[in-house]
Amino acid sequence: MKNYIIKSMFVCGAVFGASSTFADVNVGAIYDVTGSFSIFGVMQSNAVKLAIDDINAKGGLLGEKLNLITYDTQSELSKYTQYANTTVLRDRPAVVFGGMTSSSREAIRPIFRKANIPYFYSTLYEGGACDKQTFVTAPSASQQIKPLVEWAIKKYGPKMFIMAPDYNYGTISALWYHEYAKQFNGEVVGEDFLALTVTDYTPTIQKIQRAKPDFVVAIPVGPNQVGFLEQFTSAGLKDSIPVVSSNYSTANEQVLLTPNAGKGIVSSHVYFSSLDNPENKAFLKKWAEVYGKGQTISPEAVTAWNAVHLWANSVEKAGTFKSKSVYTALESGEINFKGPNGDVSMEPGSHHVKQNTYIAMGDDNYGFEVLETFKAVAPSYENQKCDLIANPKLVKHFTPKA
Amino acid sequence: MELDYLATILLSSLSSASILLIAAMGLAVVFGLMGVINLAHSEFLMIGAYAALTVTKAGVPYILSIPIAVMITMSIGAIVEMLIVRRLYGRLFDTMLATWGLSMFFMQLVVVIFGTSTVSVATIPQFNVSIGEYSLDGYRLLMILVAALMFLFVYLLMTKTVYGMKARASIQQPEMAQAIGIDSNRVNTLTFSIGCGLAGFAGAILLPLVPATPTMGLAFAVKSFLAVVVAGPVALTGTVLTTLGLGGGSSITASFLSSVIGEVFFFLITALLLWLYPCGISAKWRRKL
Amino acid sequence: MTLSEKIYQSAGLTLPAIATLTALVVAFLIDPYLAFVSTSWLIFGLLGMSLDIVWGRGGLLSLGQTAFYGMGGYFGSIAAINFSELTGNSIIWALPIGSLFGALSAMLLGYVIFYARMGELQSTILSYTFTLLLWSVIQTFKIDIGSASVLGDSGLSNIPGIIIGFGAEAESLGPNQALMTVIIIVAILYFLTRQLMHSHFGRIIDCIRIDSSKTELLGYDVRKYQLLNFIYAGAIAGLAGTLYALWSNFLSPSVFSIQEAFLPPIYVLIGGLGTLAGPFVGALMIGIMSFVLGGAAGGQTTLILGVTLILLVLFLKNGILGSLDSLWRKFLPDPNAAARNTNSVKIDVEVLKQILIDAEKQAGPAKNFSTIQLFKKFGGVIPVNKVDRNFIPGKPYSLIGANGAGKSSFLKTCVGIYQPESGVVNLGDDNITSSPIFERVKKGMGVKNQKPQVFGDLSVIDNLWIAAYSRTHDQQIALDISHKVLCMLGFEEQLGVNASALSHGQQQWLDIGMVLCLAPRIILLDEPAAGMTKEETRELSLLIRTLALHTTVVVVEHDMDFVSTLEGHVTMLHQGEVFAEGNIEELRKDERVLDVYLGRRKHV
Repeated sequence: MKNYIIKSMFVCGAVFGASSTFADVNVGAIYDVTGSFSIFGVMQSNAVKLAIDDINAKGGLLGEKLNLITYDTQSELSKYTQYANTTVLRDRPAVVFGGMTSSSREAIRPIFRKANIPYFYSTLYEGGACDKQTFVTAPSASQQIKPLVEWAIKKYGPKMFIMAPDYNYGTISALWYHEYAKQFNGEVVGEDFLALTVTDYTPTIQKIQRAKPDFVVAIPVGPNQVGFLEQFTSAGLKDSIPVVSSNYSTANEQVLLTPNAGKGIVSSHVYFSSLDNPENKAFLKKWAEVYGKGQTISPEAVTAWNAVHLWANSVEKAGTFKSKSVYTALESGEINFKGPNGDVSMEPGSHHVKQNTYIAMGDDNYGFEVLETFKAVAPSYENQKCDLIANPKLVKHFTPKA
Repeated sequence: MELDYLATILLSSLSSASILLIAAMGLAVVFGLMGVINLAHSEFLMIGAYAALTVTKAGVPYILSIPIAVMITMSIGAIVEMLIVRRLYGRLFDTMLATWGLSMFFMQLVVVIFGTSTVSVATIPQFNVSIGEYSLDGYRLLMILVAALMFLFVYLLMTKTVYGMKARASIQQPEMAQAIGIDSNRVNTLTFSIGCGLAGFAGAILLPLVPATPTMGLAFAVKSFLAVVVAGPVALTGTVLTTLGLGGGSSITASFLSSVIGEVFFFLITALLLWLYPCGISAKWRRKL
Repeated sequence: MTLSEKIYQSAGLTLPAIATLTALVVAFLIDPYLAFVSTSWLIFGLLGMSLDIVWGRGGLLSLGQTAFYGMGGYFGSIAAINFSELTGNSIIWALPIGSLFGALSAMLLGYVIFYARMGELQSTILSYTFTLLLWSVIQTFKIDIGSASVLGDSGLSNIPGIIIGFGAEAESLGPNQALMTVIIIVAILYFLTRQLMHSHFGRIIDCIRIDSSKTELLGYDVRKYQLLNFIYAGAIAGLAGTLYALWSNFLSPSVFSIQEAFLPPIYVLIGGLGTLAGPFVGALMIGIMSFVLGGAAGGQTTLILGVTLILLVLFLKNGILGSLDSLWRKFLPDPNAAARNTNSVKIDVEVLKQILIDAEKQAGPAKNFSTIQLFKKFGGVIPVNKVDRNFIPGKPYSLIGANGAGKSSFLKTCVGIYQPESGVVNLGDDNITSSPIFERVKKGMGVKNQKPQVFGDLSVIDNLWIAAYSRTHDQQIALDISHKVLCMLGFEEQLGVNASALSHGQQQWLDIGMVLCLAPRIILLDEPAAGMTKEETRELSLLIRTLALHTTVVVVEHDMDFVSTLEGHVTMLHQGEVFAEGNIEELRKDERVLDVYLGRRKHV
């Protein structure tokens, strides 16, 4: 039985021994490249690789070459624990990028905390993660919701209906919608939370028709979002009840959707590939050179790209790869990066980033037209709750109470 | 509660049940006639959707893409039967695991070929129907008719054609069938391939409702699997009842209460039915199809 | 016994023991990251073993093991979070509580499955539904228990590591020490389980898997044993879940997911079903493969894993250990060789009498068996119509009648396979009308069905022993009894042969031997002479006549010649009712009997 262990360990050792002998600086990346979450994972993994190659092509960091070690967690949670520890114990990376679902982030966060390695998370999430080692370059829920609610109430009227997935991302986001609805004199006239496995949205669609809202907030994730919008459109409702969303386009939903259903959907997000600025153009060109033309870039590819560069900037400022100095640099309030989505800057206390939020409307050609830009939106909830400079020992996951 | 609201709930729940039936039909045929549980069934559904999407993009009208999708999935099904399933007859759980492996393989293969997100097409039918103050997705309602026709087709195929008689003979009296010269290998290959073809049909016909993604099958996999097993030995007719009861019931529950309660309803009723009918609801029926 | 046979016999003990020691040494030496990762493979192997107990031994493919694993993990962790801060040592809290909750959830599910007597596939599916139900509920479930907060899909964090020191300053073990601790825990559980599976409990579980209805006819409460086995496996799974939680310091609803539920069956199947050690091999193989691929395959992991799974199922039917086992056995002498050189059975009447006298001493005098107005119907058919009968010891009773006369149905209603609509069945002074089969057997009923029912994978002596043990509950006495019956049948040479290697006729005799081991006070025999040679029939007749001197004997038979050799009472059934009775000569003279029974068949 167990003598298989020995043999296999030698095999493993041989496979991995090779990669760990480099003298370069190791960088870890842990993403779901295969399995059911690959729809989110591949983009981020590719973006990190592109960014590291970009830095290496420009001569590396502090004169050192970065050696990227990627792990495919296969959409399986135990793999996160395995690979996170593997990279900590064997590769001794200077930084790790990765994590997808909330549970995967929560699974690996403590590992990097214990190992004292900076960890960057770049997936859109419910917000509130707070500890010394964790840095979030994706928007937290409230960051996008506030501008969206303000905009939508002004444009469509006060009554909103919320449909959200029934797990933390959805329920916490819904709380923010309630909060900002109050703030901007709106009213939530109905809400419906959907189970993960649901593909049938007619019950929700009927509840919406019954509640007669001025607009619908729809934040299911990925293909579920597409299914809902498709069915909502087919029921002939989209023209009378507009749909807004604070996560639509995260997994390139607009591409999966039939053009007719995609037209007119409003999304608030930190990046759209139609953004007109030189950094975005350069970024898209680089992407096409490496991964081929015709790909639609998701916002999370950009937040992952930004994550690598924000880290690189902090290393340069610190003048060393040592974690302690890198934290000091990241918390200096002077770490900025001009990303494809505009200026991003690391907030010193909360370890989240201040970045632009765009309100955009879907067209009938799988793309978006940007309607309004909210410049440098701060992660206000995190800034308010989480001050790691005043309280560096803080380890918490803040959730707003209803 | 207003009459029109009630009517829309009933209609849409019926259509949800029909969609589940469409997705589960092939599984029921393969289980009922071969005693094989094909866990890659939902991936055949996904392949059907991708096939329809790809040919539609190439300029073929959507309606014509459906038979093409059926042919493609039927051929893949026949190959899978000859290479894998045939070698595992009588080993129910081995077949389940092998087809589980196959589903992993197909899912990743589609990612390799098409990427994680595939651009949709514009030529897919969309229309709506109004009942009182409420409006419903017309295509979705159409699925009630499609499910009925599909059931009728399979039923006639099994009762009125030579193949159908042979297929039923091989499952009910295998030795006798062998003795009168029925080549059960060929019959089984055809049955499995028809099952996969039905899955392909489901994927293609549901394309306007469920976007083509590598994981699209997962949503149907569990529920259709449960519905077929609860149905028991008289798989085809039994599945009609279980999809109506479980699928329709959970949709109604979701309408009046919440989506999660709808899901819990589905699983709880499944458990309850299994408890009351330990060998499936059709275990004591006289009919055989 | 040759040396190689001896080694083979003890392979299940020595090889794992060697493996454990080697693993301990290796665990001490290897790179910490490998130690860390392999700890999880070992835990998955333990989860696989819990399934092997239920599936390979018990015969039920449960997709609920991950549910017990998850329940154990959650509750064990909650205990560890709250208590180990004060006391140090996390495993003394987590492991018992984790296995307790694993066992409790298994008890809940197992009770429904076994007491509803579900079909094979339906049981599997119900266990799957159970897992899915937990998954959809726990996804949104939030609660604070002491300092542990369960946060829906964000999971349960802050689970302490494996701590074995005591006191508030005790630290979690490093990867190598943690691996060694887990190796020791897993080894203890493996040897414990192996011991259990080799005890009488394990043998009964094996019998239930092979033929559960026969096991019940031997007087075992099958459902109770199945449930106990299921609970034991649930406890192991719960413990594995706790170890997993301590290993990962984190737990989320994903342990209950659709995909996770299929991992244990994969480990078991690849390693070898029913081998107990196999799941560890399977978990290790899959673990290593997906770990290496995920680090190096450039994103094609699931593609390669899927293909490998298919190939393994296709070409390694018995799994890795199962295939190695059959390969090894090819080089050993055939244990069933003795089955080939047997003579026809000759009953040793003296031994038989001694057995019957002993039985009377131990189990009391023979009992009467009676039915009062027994009535059974199926739809419009009434196979048993208000039958009054009283059977007493002394002479054998024969029930005869044409096909469809209701003799089998009468017998099945007496045995308890059918529940009568009305009427009473009495065994001695007890009303057993609604007693389950095994209780009737415990009260002294012995049943021999038409087809031989023996446990094919068990040796001849074990077959007899399992029957004798059911009555005596003493291993040594049971062994003595089985040896006597073995002598009576003249099967001494075939003692170690697998029952399946015996000929059809010999299996009939073995089956009768098993019934005798029960020391029944009333014996019901269904067409015992079917398929026997003339010689064997003569021996059988002698046996039945001798039996009837000490117990009550009822034989259902349609072979009139055989019935006439029994020299007993004959009852003829027709359309579910008693039609005629007397001895065989009287019946043969009865014109009505000939009309009904023989008259329609001109060639009889």
